[in-house]
Amino acid sequence: MAISEWGTEAISEFRKHPGMAAVMLLISCFLLIFLVIPVIQVVFVAFTNATTGGFTLLNFKDFFNTALFRESFWNSIYVGVMAVVIASVFSMPLAYFTSRFEFKGAVIIQSLGIIPLIMPPFVGAVAMLMLFGRNGSVNLFLDQWFGFTIPFMEGLNGVIFVQSIHYFPFILINLSAALQNIDRSMEESAQNLGCSGMRLFRRIVLPLAMPGYIAGASLVFLKVFDDLGTPLLLNVNNMLAPQAYLRIASIGIKDPMGYVISVILVVIALGSMWLAMLTLKGKDYATVQKGGGGLAKRRMRPLEKFFAWIVVLLIMGLVLAPHLGLSLLSFGTIWSFSMLPDAFTFKHFATVFAETPEYMTNTVLYSALAATIDVILGTAIAYIVLRTKLVGRQWLDYVAMSAVAIPGLVIGIGYLRTFHGFNVPWLESRSLATWWVAIVVALAIRRLPYALRACMAALQQVSVSLEESAENLGAGKLSTVRKIVVPLMTGGILAGFVTSFATAAVELGMTLMLVSKNSDGPLSYGIYVYMQSAAGRGPGAALGIVAVVVVGLCTLFSYLFVERRQKKLGMGQTT
Amino acid sequence: MNNTLHESGIDSTVSVKLEDINLSFGKTHVLKGIDLQIEPGEFFAFLGPSGCGKTTLLRLIAGFESAQTGQVTIGGKEVSYLPPWQRNLGMVFQSYALWPHMTIRKNVAFGLEERHIPRNEINRRTDRALELVGLLELADRRPSQLSGGQQQRVALARTIVIEPQVLLLDEPLSNLDAKLRIQMRHELLNLQRKLSITTIFVTHDQEEANTIADRIALMKDGVIQQKGTPVELYDKPANRFVADFLGTANFFEGKLKKLENRWMFQADNGLVIPVNDNGDKKNSGNCCVVFRPQNVNVTVDDRNNANNTIQFRGTVSSNEFLGSTIRYRVTVRGDDIFADVSHQQGQRLIENGTSVNLGIDQNQIMVVND
Repeated sequence: MAISEWGTEAISEFRKHPGMAAVMLLISCFLLIFLVIPVIQVVFVAFTNATTGGFTLLNFKDFFNTALFRESFWNSIYVGVMAVVIASVFSMPLAYFTSRFEFKGAVIIQSLGIIPLIMPPFVGAVAMLMLFGRNGSVNLFLDQWFGFTIPFMEGLNGVIFVQSIHYFPFILINLSAALQNIDRSMEESAQNLGCSGMRLFRRIVLPLAMPGYIAGASLVFLKVFDDLGTPLLLNVNNMLAPQAYLRIASIGIKDPMGYVISVILVVIALGSMWLAMLTLKGKDYATVQKGGGGLAKRRMRPLEKFFAWIVVLLIMGLVLAPHLGLSLLSFGTIWSFSMLPDAFTFKHFATVFAETPEYMTNTVLYSALAATIDVILGTAIAYIVLRTKLVGRQWLDYVAMSAVAIPGLVIGIGYLRTFHGFNVPWLESRSLATWWVAIVVALAIRRLPYALRACMAALQQVSVSLEESAENLGAGKLSTVRKIVVPLMTGGILAGFVTSFATAAVELGMTLMLVSKNSDGPLSYGIYVYMQSAAGRGPGAALGIVAVVVVGLCTLFSYLFVERRQKKLGMGQTT
Repeated sequence: MNNTLHESGIDSTVSVKLEDINLSFGKTHVLKGIDLQIEPGEFFAFLGPSGCGKTTLLRLIAGFESAQTGQVTIGGKEVSYLPPWQRNLGMVFQSYALWPHMTIRKNVAFGLEERHIPRNEINRRTDRALELVGLLELADRRPSQLSGGQQQRVALARTIVIEPQVLLLDEPLSNLDAKLRIQMRHELLNLQRKLSITTIFVTHDQEEANTIADRIALMKDGVIQQKGTPVELYDKPANRFVADFLGTANFFEGKLKKLENRWMFQADNGLVIPVNDNGDKKNSGNCCVVFRPQNVNVTVDDRNNANNTIQFRGTVSSNEFLGSTIRYRVTVRGDDIFADVSHQQGQRLIENGTSVNLGIDQNQIMVVND
């Protein structure tokens, strides 16, 4: 009986939104073909015996029996964990300073939370090598004056160092928000009951901020664990992602090891997300009451202030180091065994603009197309999930969001495997997998979760009564969406577009797999290609600067646009 | 001392003394020259409108604010420079401030753990405190799983379990619904009497303060306007603000004059009212007379001639039927006067526009400064 009731309800809902049901079907097909099937394909191959075609666990046995793979597995875990530890060391004092003290450096700390995110870690990796490597500026200086060096960039250290500098803002932002959400009375009641100082921090403040910390830390682990570009550029190959790439690149897409590693990457990624969710379950500790807000702030004593500034400036130096190094590299002539380049020149920029302008045009084209697809899909999915009761709408959301846990490398491998034999008649190479459109689609799939969350948030802020009054005045569903919903969502949609665009512009793991010829490559691919040789470092760095400028400018313009529009409409963030 | 949480055996009720407290936040002078003595075992209320400084004063006693001048003495010991965690005062926060990451039992045991009391004693005293507030069976739940009233009891248990010298309550009932508030009010009073602990209670609700407190300090703009028992404040308000804040009051503004050795009040609207000379110090000059609506007698005909009764005529401009009473608003020479008439079965309301006679016993008229 319950089933038949549910059935009639589903049918009546379908009658109410026939157009939306059709859109939902289309999106489902898109996600199925370009996300679900390629990933399943990867998993399928990992469990298939290459010769007999039957089910087997032999590939996994081979994996764990190979010393190099075992080493890579533990190295990847180690790098992920250590990056979280180092990133925590950076974030905790910064978050504590801003939430606990009246501190003038708070503005700097806030900018520190954004600057690293503008530049992907692999772009700065080589520059960091020039500054912190064995013969880099810092070690040359230390050796010359103090007679010792610090192995910042040796092997796995380099990956950990570069990644934690890049990803610590995830922890900083989440932790600061969590600390700011602790109501003052939480702390005061503990003081009232006789608790103070470090004990107070350990027993009350830290546990209450824990959910925020875990959310940030799990994200950092996930990103670092999956990253392909940084280890490749630092020439660290004994990690999982580089191994998968190298197997596919050198042996070919028939080799099962690339697939096995992909499955392991996905499982660990999902596992860490699941673990974080498990820890966070039922722990929404936001406790701010009216009139409250954040921990009690006090002025720093002079000595405290002194140390705080030292810590902030030190971290600022580290955060700016990749940017500084990249600039030096791009404007420098020869930079080897010296603290600074020998001379400065615009030659490298001239080179990249003259020889390989297609990297830039490709990037803008691919990212703009992918981001456009994302906001269209994001708006549609948000509307279906929040405004209809169509059966399966939650699954649409889950599947679209699941792309977060799939490393770019895995999507790339999945596309190669799935669409390799899929012919596109008007193409020379005749394969969908090597057509540049595949890169665009893969980018769109990868960045859909960002756009989707932004669209969801935007639609949640549009009151249903605004739509109902339009319908009441005679507007149909479609024209209500077009004339009322979408205009009111513009801010959120644009935010989604920018996030998708900016992150798509610097995606490397997947593009490395899918770019079949240099003329199809985007900036990230170009940077990788240039950085392979010592002579190409200058032009590679110049491309890196271009990427940072493109991403930075696009973000700035869209921010200004949203700001002006919000002001014009006379509305705040909420409607 | 059966039933109490105090196990030390000695009577530990203490007094709280505030002397010349001045406190500013930046340029805002929040507390101005507060002098106050709260007796041992007293249930004392800080009453006043929002922004009057009552919560700041409570937080100052708890040690969360520090004053620019003045001192706080608790049980004969000056605590002005002690941090909150060394004062041994129990504060119940308006938001209850229960820690969401701990169970109820953990919340209640927290203060005892901070005092490094042996584990078995912590368990015993925690159970006893939870039993006292009737929540022992919910001890292993988390705060978010409890109702507002239950959370309030946990906050109370967490505070009294440490046997504080003084109990500080910051609008503890304001987050409860009306019915629960009245119930908790009685429970709170019972608990306070049982523990005989000096208690300070902050509220903006005059009814709450009247029913629960032994004495009240009524505050406005950082100044204590008057302190005394609820009846004293109601019957002998020190100024117009006090009279107006406690219950409903009628005012005539005007001047006090001495005519032929009798004090007379010359109202601005022209009425002249003789004032009892009851020995109070009186100043000539601007002031007002106050009288309560329930002391105003309303008659349609003109036969109210009792002794000592002051009479004037007015016109009914509205009538509200409140059940036990009828509240008339009567316009007297441009001023509105409220009169409460107790309702008898079958009695009809006096209609608007009716000219009526108002009579007030001279003894019920108070003169206060503006």
